[in-house]
Amino acid sequence: MKSVYYKVVLLSGFMLSCGTVYGFDFGQEFNKALKENVQEKIGKNPGAAANVLSGIVGTSQEEEVAIGKQIAGNLLGASPLVKDKRLQKYINNVGRWVASQSERPDLPWHFGVIESNDINAFAAPGGYIFVTRGLYLQLHNEAALAGVLAHEIGHVIRQHHLKILQQSSLVALGGEALSRQVGNNEKVQQLIGSGAEVVARSLDKNAEFEADSIAVVLSARAGYDPFSFPEVLQDIGHIAKDDNSVELLFKTHPHPDERLDKLNVAMDDRLDNVKGLTLEKRFYRINP
Amino acid sequence: MKIKEIAILLLLVLAVQPAVAVETGTVLKAEVIKKEPFTDAKTVATLNVGDKVNILKKDGGWLNVKSARGGGWVRMLSIRKGEAKKGKSVAESFAGLASGRAGTGKVVATTGIRGLNEEELKAAKFDAEELNLAESYMTTRAEAQSFANQGKLKPRSLDYLPLPQ
Repeated sequence: MKSVYYKVVLLSGFMLSCGTVYGFDFGQEFNKALKENVQEKIGKNPGAAANVLSGIVGTSQEEEVAIGKQIAGNLLGASPLVKDKRLQKYINNVGRWVASQSERPDLPWHFGVIESNDINAFAAPGGYIFVTRGLYLQLHNEAALAGVLAHEIGHVIRQHHLKILQQSSLVALGGEALSRQVGNNEKVQQLIGSGAEVVARSLDKNAEFEADSIAVVLSARAGYDPFSFPEVLQDIGHIAKDDNSVELLFKTHPHPDERLDKLNVAMDDRLDNVKGLTLEKRFYRINP
Repeated sequence: MKIKEIAILLLLVLAVQPAVAVETGTVLKAEVIKKEPFTDAKTVATLNVGDKVNILKKDGGWLNVKSARGGGWVRMLSIRKGEAKKGKSVAESFAGLASGRAGTGKVVATTGIRGLNEEELKAAKFDAEELNLAESYMTTRAEAQSFANQGKLKPRSLDYLPLPQ
């Protein structure tokens, strides 16, 4: 149902941009348009041919950031930043240090705490990461925050959301069109669907387990106690399933108990002797 | 003289009491209790699935526990903390009402505190000003490095974990 909805949105967006009229075979016409688009792209850049023909069109970092910017702007339209400069600077410091331990240290990483009592965190392509006030209040030390951010960093570096967009659209928008425009970008908006709904879409379960295992590794690499992250999962697992604050989180993620099970298997005894810092004293605390 | 004795007695009583309320846990998988919080430390006892333990403290991935089979250190991920499930308290229910959330998850009023359900995300409108503000807090790699130094965080090398099948 959901994927059909997206196809329709994307299709109509695509048709409008081509200036076509309604009332013909959607599929056939769409494929034709797609083929033309692909051929045009190959014509401009023969090196991209292999990527285009394999079905997944390579997305440049510029395009990736432009997509993330659009999603982040929409998300902030739903939930603005918590108005606390020191908090926002603090989360950027922690996040950037953790992201520096990844294979994409030079993305323009941005982190923020947003006004929502829900317990959740969001990642958008290109390095835009947001944690809700509700989730932040669950954390007891800096290592726990680092772990939560590292999970989201994991989604960004493995391009989990970007891959969903690429698969559902099969359309590569020209890099120039994507990155030329600053601010609200209609073409990118067509690609991502309605508002910031893309962040509410469930990823494959394995993508979540992968992000969890990246979370403990990046935390440890950054010098933090990697076990603070599974502790956050344990705490969230203790919240009743019917609690409003975890409604969306539990809908889009496997239950914390299942995540802990998988993480336990992946970690085995590999991190047993890693002793990192929790930095409980430095942790920036906020009021509920 | 008498007061002094009472004071000493009181101090002794306090000293043997655990500083924090004891947390309990349940053993998730057959596990060994180690003398020290290290893999190669001496094994003190073994635990079976379902055994109850009292959790005294934490050190990295290890919990210091007391159990009927003995005390020592157990891998944290092998223990499920036995806290009671947090239900909705009266206060939380009121908070839910104040935020405009009814039990259905639908917005019935707006008071500034917003939730983030799918409909709200779908209806979200691009906020350029807020995005600019968010981007203004960006930390450079160099700034992050000095932030790490201040916290005495030392980077270590560690491979990614194999994906479980």
